[in-house]
Amino acid sequence: MQFFGGSEISPSPPVPTASGNNAHMMYVFNRNGVCLLYKEWNRPLHTLNPQQDHKLMFGLLFSLKSLTAKMDPVNADKGNLGVPQLPGQGCSFHSFRTNTYKLSFMETPSGIKIILVTHPKTGDLRESLKYIYGLYVEYVVKNPIYSPGSPIKSELFNTALDQYVRSIS
Amino acid sequence: MVREVAESCVDTMLMEMVAMYSGRFYANKPELAARRIEAIGYQVGHQLSERYTMERPRFSDHLEAIKFICKDFWSEVFKKQIDNLKTNHRGTFVLQDNKFRWLSRVSIDPSPEKETEDPLSTPGESKAAQAVSMYLYFPCGIIRGVLSNLGIPCAVSADISSLPTCSFVIRVKA
Repeated sequence: MQFFGGSEISPSPPVPTASGNNAHMMYVFNRNGVCLLYKEWNRPLHTLNPQQDHKLMFGLLFSLKSLTAKMDPVNADKGNLGVPQLPGQGCSFHSFRTNTYKLSFMETPSGIKIILVTHPKTGDLRESLKYIYGLYVEYVVKNPIYSPGSPIKSELFNTALDQYVRSIS
Repeated sequence: MVREVAESCVDTMLMEMVAMYSGRFYANKPELAARRIEAIGYQVGHQLSERYTMERPRFSDHLEAIKFICKDFWSEVFKKQIDNLKTNHRGTFVLQDNKFRWLSRVSIDPSPEKETEDPLSTPGESKAAQAVSMYLYFPCGIIRGVLSNLGIPCAVSADISSLPTCSFVIRVKA
């Protein structure tokens, strides 16, 4: 018998329907904490206003990254605070899960942070986040009229992203 | 010996070229910047046409030269052919590319910003369209360079009423 899961106190969320839209929301931040993109597909509850929400998310991940690096029992290389590391180098946290959602995170060496919040039963999304970063490079970075550091407003990127996220199981 | 460069390098260099000319060298003088960029394209087109017509006999008429641009030249430079060619048989040709490679990632901001100065047409849209049109002077110059090297002086302009479809209008000088 399950003791912690599925009781009335903390009910588990409804299983996603066959439409396949598993994702709740997504954030993309750059190195300086500017929120380049915030997309929401399914978020029934808003607790903070958007600015506070973005700041909280960025601050949380910043702290989590440095916490996980400092508490690492295996790796001696602590890296510098705030400096993005090469993939595979040092200790990089990639997801946390609660009973109602799973948050997956990826940071690229250029400091772009991609955060995807999904249903808790989602598997490892690291490859998906890499693909999304590929979409970002393709449609945002290579867009001649995009100025780096400003919020992303590209139709092509939004469409491709929507399509891809809906297909993640 | 074939020396190759990643396509993203070429793309980035073209982006930077337009940004430098319209942002730094001739800031606030878009016509001058456009002329310089078109002149660079002219030189490039001139040299590319030498390379790509090396083993071919001379073209019999203007239409043959335009068809060369639509098929062989466009495939060499953009890895695809021109999708539609129209002519009025009186020196004007319209080359339509349904998915122009250098504009394939351009995406105009769907929500126009609020501007209080110009209450006429949608200002956000025209500024974005103007920014995008700067990127078309280079391919126009290339086409003009190719044709002039083949002995056909002309004027080339581009039309982007519907992205990513792009039309190049060639007017042959009689």
